[in-house]
Amino acid sequence: MSGVSNTITNQEKFDRGQIEVDFITKSFDSDAGNILALDGINLEVVPQEFITLVGRSGCGKSTLLRCIGGLISPSTGTIKISGQVVTEPHPQIGYVFQQAVLLPWRTVEENVLLPFEVKGNPTDKEKHKVSEVLEIVGLSDYANHRPGELSGGMQQRVSVSRALVTEPSILLMDEPFGALDAQTREDMNIELLRIWEVAKTTIVFVTHDIGEALFLSDRVVLMSARPGKVHDIIEVNSPRPRTFDQVENDPAFWKMRQRIREALH
Amino acid sequence: MTIEINRIDGDTEAKGSFITNFSSQKLLGQFLVLVTPFLFLLIWHLIAAGTTPLILPNPYDVFMRLVSYFINGRIWPHLFMTTQEILAGFVLGSVLGLGFGTLVSESDIARKVIMPYIIVTQALPKFALAPMLVIWFGFGMAPKVIIAALIAFFPLVENTFMGLTTTPQPQLELFRALRASRITTLLKLRIPHAVPAIFSGFRVALMLSLVGAVVAEYVGANQGLGALIIVSQGTLDTELMFVAFVILTVLGLCLDWLYGLVYKIVLVKLYGKTIDDVSSSTTRLSV
Ligand SMILES: Nc1ncnc2c1ncn2[C@@H]1O[C@H](COP(=O)(O)OP(=O)(O)O)[C@@H](O)[C@H]1O
Ligand SMILES: [Mg+2]
Repeated sequence: MSGVSNTITNQEKFDRGQIEVDFITKSFDSDAGNILALDGINLEVVPQEFITLVGRSGCGKSTLLRCIGGLISPSTGTIKISGQVVTEPHPQIGYVFQQAVLLPWRTVEENVLLPFEVKGNPTDKEKHKVSEVLEIVGLSDYANHRPGELSGGMQQRVSVSRALVTEPSILLMDEPFGALDAQTREDMNIELLRIWEVAKTTIVFVTHDIGEALFLSDRVVLMSARPGKVHDIIEVNSPRPRTFDQVENDPAFWKMRQRIREALH
Repeated sequence: MTIEINRIDGDTEAKGSFITNFSSQKLLGQFLVLVTPFLFLLIWHLIAAGTTPLILPNPYDVFMRLVSYFINGRIWPHLFMTTQEILAGFVLGSVLGLGFGTLVSESDIARKVIMPYIIVTQALPKFALAPMLVIWFGFGMAPKVIIAALIAFFPLVENTFMGLTTTPQPQLELFRALRASRITTLLKLRIPHAVPAIFSGFRVALMLSLVGAVVAEYVGANQGLGALIIVSQGTLDTELMFVAFVILTVLGLCLDWLYGLVYKIVLVKLYGKTIDDVSSSTTRLSV
């Protein structure tokens, strides 16, 4: 990890890693009428923070993430990335979706190179960056494999690599490990924290697993459904590194767990 | 199928019987593959024996006539002409089909304006145009190429359109998040995704071009396998007609084989080295 050649300094990332969600609402027109998916969300995420969004399915977690990522625009209110109002997908944001969303006709390496290719002809430096990122997630040996030959966990690692390769200041992750088995998910969580500590990015991570949220985050944002609102924000004060055992059994975590559970029901 | 069931059993005895079952089944399969053509020829021969050569010529006589046509070289101009017409029609129809298919999938306006005409072209009985095309373009290759192209056109438009407009939503969203331009999204996502659909369009178009070329030859031609069939009809030479049938069938098979070869090369280039990868990737792709 010390071998990562940063083209963007950590200070620059710090300057770009802030998210301000300023009282946004989002409604969808559908056959069943107007759905208010988000109702007055206020949230400030500080640079290099690891924040998780937790809430029941349908409470608007993905919608909020898509608004932050500029994939959709809020109906009212504004979102700012380090002071700049979001109107379209932001170049400083990396996105990891629930599914790996890999292109089956490209090799692992070519999939990770995609963000550069989309911008133009990848430089040697960018190609080198791809190898580095694959090294970090432990997929160097699979660089020339097709996604179809990889397990679900490995595919999601490729997807994370693709988001990291452009050295984004902000990483938006929408239940990225939701489809993985418990063991693989724990491994991925440990790996993600390792990467986060080195890459110094802000991470907004959606999950509905309370344990995952407590293990990963600085703060847990609890959302309630219909309409989607921020119900509560919990600071996870416990020092890092944490263990899953701790999250499971430490009384300090029990309390937070209890608070989240009550809020969700 | 059988393999799966026997594995689930996990019983050694079942596995043993499965192996014998499997190999005897495989042998039976090979046997049938080898025997069926002979059976077919035998039945043909028996029916031919009960009728006159005018109705149904004997397979042996057809074969000898075929050989003689190849030896004396009289078949080549016909075969060459028809093959040329098929390929020219196929290429023309495919290029136009690909172009229009891409156009109507890219632009809503183009779709609204052009699609009705494309559907009219499809509804139009193209063979009915053949006599008029002969008046316009004479007895040469042109009318046949046009008819072949006209009927090869539609499957390509349809499959290109279908392939380009069924890109999975998550992949489109990824490209949006990566701030990909429209042309980049087309080149790097939608077209590669459409390849299998476009190729199945090619396959249909190729076979339709063959039909188109031959039927157009019926209407007015002095060369080509279709012309040969019309001539043999005029002289009541059923044997010669069968020679043309056999050659057309083999020609169709060869073209389809060629198609398969090209498709395989393209798939291997796209998806990797082995055929196993290809099939698993295509399944994934279609999901
Ligand atoms: N494109 C859309 N059109 C209509 N309704 C939508 C759309 N996207 C989300 N919704 C609705 O908004 C609500 C929140 O959805 P979502 O953000 O996906 O929830 P979550 O990710 O928390 O499960 C749901 O009721 C969903 O049906
Ligand atoms: Mg969601």
